[in-house]
Amino acid sequence: MANPDLETPEFIERLRAGDRAAFALVVKHYHPRLLGAARTMLQPADAEEAVQDGWIAAHRALPKFEGRSALLTWLTRIVINQARMQLRKGGREVQFDPTEEGAADALAHRFNANGHWQEPPRAWALSGPDALLTRDELQHCLESHITAMPDNQRLALQLRDIQGLDFNDICNIMDVSASNVRVLVHRARARARLFEMVDRFQETGEC
Amino acid sequence: MLKCQEVELRADALVDGTPLSRRERLSLNMHLLMCRHCRRYVRQLRALTAHLRHRESPTAHDDQVQAVLDCVHHSKQTTD
Repeated sequence: MANPDLETPEFIERLRAGDRAAFALVVKHYHPRLLGAARTMLQPADAEEAVQDGWIAAHRALPKFEGRSALLTWLTRIVINQARMQLRKGGREVQFDPTEEGAADALAHRFNANGHWQEPPRAWALSGPDALLTRDELQHCLESHITAMPDNQRLALQLRDIQGLDFNDICNIMDVSASNVRVLVHRARARARLFEMVDRFQETGEC
Repeated sequence: MLKCQEVELRADALVDGTPLSRRERLSLNMHLLMCRHCRRYVRQLRALTAHLRHRESPTAHDDQVQAVLDCVHHSKQTTD
């Protein structure tokens, strides 16, 4: 979520006026998030470069920033555009709208023909010292599953579930309709098998 | 009456707090009242998304910030 202190009209005015301390504060708070967003599309070194180029572009464009969206949304959009340009230079085009890839319901095999659970969710140990979601092995599993998702799902998951942006901001950043953002997030959570993976991990302890 | 699989496909709306029509909300709640498997699914999907949120990045280190500022400053000098 955006940092409220960096989104007030007074603060934005300082930024637009070229206040260096204000700009440094924005970098301090938003750099890791922008890097997180860029890394969903690029290798780590390329992501660093895209974010760096993004800061340069943002710094130049700041006097024209009108505050119609949150500063974080505006910055993320700039960085994602930089990342897209980098990919394009390498001959890759990113498709943010959902495609047929991953369109099938990944949990379909857990329902019977009547649409009832035939393999219901297992009990997850959600609290206690050995709580499922806090286990290190599971973090590695989550990491590798997120890496293996299609780019557009990974970016939508990053912006929505990891950074907590709202759907309107994500539409704005990705230039994708609200319903398509929801489709991407749903696929990332359920259809890209994050849920399945955690459920299986609970049972077998394996990724 | 919704089927479990239909609830699974709509569970994101509950987790995200997406506004639903009264009818949609009523049918989801009716189902959840009666179906413990779907209640568990929604609870777990909530826990999973809440967990992902906690992976959010902290603030940048001072040397990282300085590197960005130097770069911005340098590019400004070369274009001015």
